[in-house]
Amino acid sequence: MTTRRTWMIAALILAIALVSGAGAAPPKDAIVIGLLAEPVTMDPPQITDLNSARVTKRIFEGLVAQELGSYKLVPGLARSWEISKDGLIYTFNLRANVTFHDGTPFNAEAVKFCFERQLNEQGPYYKTGTYPYVKGFLGNVQGVEVVNPLTVQIKLKAPLTPFLQYLAHQSLFIYSPEALKKHGKDIVKNPVGTGPFKLETWEPGVKVVLARNDQYWGGAPKVRQAIYVPIIEAQARLAAIKTGEIDLTMDVPPDSLDSLRKDPNITVAESNSSAVWYIALNTRHAVLKDKRVRQAMNYAINKEAIIRDILKGTAIVSSGPMSPVYGPFHEEKTTRYPYDPEKAKALLKDAGYAGGFEVVFLVPESGSGMQQPVEMGTVIQAQLQAVGIKAKIQTMEWGAYLKKYLDGPDMAEMSWNPSIGDPDHVTYMLLSSDRFPPAFNAGFYQNARVDELLRKGRATVGDGERAAIYKEAQRIISDEAPWIFIDHGRQIIIHRKRMQGFKLHPNFDLVLTQVWLQ
Amino acid sequence: MAAVGGGGLPAYALRRLLLAVPVLFGVSVLVFAVLHLAPGDPAAIMLGAQATKEDVVRLHRDLGLDQPLVVQYVRWMGHVLQGDLGRSIPLGRAVLPEVLLRFKATLVLTAGALLIAILLGLSAGIVSAVKQYTWLDRISMGVAVTGVSLPVFWTGIMLIILFALQLRWFPSSGMSSPYGSGVADVLWHLVLPAVTLGTASAAALARLTRSSVLEIIRQDYVRSARAKGLAERAVIARHVLKNAINPIITVLGLQVGFLLGGAILTETVFSWPGLGSMMVRAIQARDYPLVQGGVLLIATTFVLVNLVVDLLYAVFDPRIRYD
Repeated sequence: MTTRRTWMIAALILAIALVSGAGAAPPKDAIVIGLLAEPVTMDPPQITDLNSARVTKRIFEGLVAQELGSYKLVPGLARSWEISKDGLIYTFNLRANVTFHDGTPFNAEAVKFCFERQLNEQGPYYKTGTYPYVKGFLGNVQGVEVVNPLTVQIKLKAPLTPFLQYLAHQSLFIYSPEALKKHGKDIVKNPVGTGPFKLETWEPGVKVVLARNDQYWGGAPKVRQAIYVPIIEAQARLAAIKTGEIDLTMDVPPDSLDSLRKDPNITVAESNSSAVWYIALNTRHAVLKDKRVRQAMNYAINKEAIIRDILKGTAIVSSGPMSPVYGPFHEEKTTRYPYDPEKAKALLKDAGYAGGFEVVFLVPESGSGMQQPVEMGTVIQAQLQAVGIKAKIQTMEWGAYLKKYLDGPDMAEMSWNPSIGDPDHVTYMLLSSDRFPPAFNAGFYQNARVDELLRKGRATVGDGERAAIYKEAQRIISDEAPWIFIDHGRQIIIHRKRMQGFKLHPNFDLVLTQVWLQ
Repeated sequence: MAAVGGGGLPAYALRRLLLAVPVLFGVSVLVFAVLHLAPGDPAAIMLGAQATKEDVVRLHRDLGLDQPLVVQYVRWMGHVLQGDLGRSIPLGRAVLPEVLLRFKATLVLTAGALLIAILLGLSAGIVSAVKQYTWLDRISMGVAVTGVSLPVFWTGIMLIILFALQLRWFPSSGMSSPYGSGVADVLWHLVLPAVTLGTASAAALARLTRSSVLEIIRQDYVRSARAKGLAERAVIARHVLKNAINPIITVLGLQVGFLLGGAILTETVFSWPGLGSMMVRAIQARDYPLVQGGVLLIATTFVLVNLVVDLLYAVFDPRIRYD
């Protein structure tokens, strides 16, 4: 009897739930976005992950901004700027009458405050957070000076051309000094910026709701709210976008893309990205130090087949660190490595390894931007085997993997999606001898000419001259093959048709200012 | 089952609580050691490819990771004893309010799963014991064996594909609608994850209930009850179940631990905002303070649940005394 009663109650609850749930539909003036995970932090200088950046970049802005859909720099909180002839002094003319979401004014003092919080280890607010990239982005800064309320000067220790691009990175975005003083360490969940949206609520693990900033200097956005929900499982993201629970998402199972493209309510937006997926080869390894061996390994891999069969066409073949999105800086005429096992065998024979050799091949189980690491590793292993190279795969979890990666393994999978739109940020960062571990040149690649070019590239002003520098560097790098170049992943965003005006950005940002709902 | 010694129930409970202290201390040492000795570095994971030597060194210093492990442990324990579980490394948030908030969601899920486990498990177990060797018995036990064998991440994804994507009866993930709220909304979201998590427990419970009931049903007093003309339903409810309940409660207590563990996977599949899905992320990020705090909370809960289970024995079986 008791059992029967309980059953009836349960059935009743279920019925009520069903009826109530069936009525829930997305509102007409709010966009719902399904992210892979919720933001980690909303304090700009503490952000290291894409999910946090995708949300927080709606709330905050930098002195300079990137044009919608490209890396081209345009005015942000600074109307204009001048760079001194020696490349050491950057003077920014700030926008007038801009206020933070808490009503306090944006001015030169605020800029100085934000940079000095990170820079000055003895400063009163240094301990309100940990700043992962401060040395990388601000290590070259001599000082920040307030010239007048709307003019700020940043002095560098040495010329560094990518610095302007750094200012468009969330690490150097400007937030309300008053909000930081008020919240201290809890600033991580109390973001106050100048951007087109402001934080309305953040229920940890459940959702982040941003509301339109009607006072936005650039004109208020068209949608009233942007709601971000974490959906960890790819199948669940697919279900949510198909049923219309959410308006936009990413990283659905690649097998489902064809059916999504045929869905009349859904748009699959695709573009090339700056991401690169490669296998770092240890140039200090007894065998891998021979360029011919590394080239042979590049010829041995059928990249087209990997992209077609494993990645289902969601990438393009790579022959160097920089993808075509770098436009004028990208070199088309690099050494290419079409699939050619015979040539690979010939090169190995030439190098004295006709009988092959053994290497340890590190493969992560998963990881940020790693696509299908295990499947890809397995195919690569088999194709190397076909030319006589025995790669012994060791798989491990991402955290342990990174540690092992920086120990300088024989060969290891890696991917990199630079958040800075400057060629320096992929070439110098990954292949300069200044960047041996614990920085990310884990293969210890060192070439005197490449080092010279990459150092020169960072200090040279003027796109034309820089383009020539980076093109030469790419030609040498491709020929020397410090990596097995595999692919540049394509960015794929799936959104409902009711969402109009959306444009992809090469660094995977989701800009909403110009988006409207039908 | 019952401890021996003077003082009765309150003294017994107090003694058990005191015994929990060394258990939790052991757990704290274990989780600290396992986490810190496992390969991986929170700074390296945070920094990724943008890492510079200077930033790695500075971050280690600011996070106190440059200190010897023993110093780090003593410092952490010192704060824990004052009720301060520290701050999560990448989140920058205080650990205690964060884990408590997430734990609420886990409790909702666990309660839902437990309810399903009890409803399904008990009824299936009783039915198949009473109708032993009939087709009903065989089907119930067949389903139970299947239920125990299915991993929750598989069941979860299958339920999403069937009920969220195809039939569209339930939402695919989350604890509430992005644009809705209320108890009904949460219950609607609870159905699929609770079924996923509860099924495996229900299966284990059904098998145990069946054998436990079968043992009692052959006792003389059950025959007497039937002989004096009691309806079969009353015999089962009043005489059989009441006596078969103790082993079932023991297993239920253990199932709570199982459910808390299973919740980790279930929460990840359904993006349920509980402690489990948060811990997975924290472990991946080597977020030491958050993982340590979360494990301490789970361990404390498990110890308390087991204590309650032990105390419940006396409620159902007056023969048991805690003196």
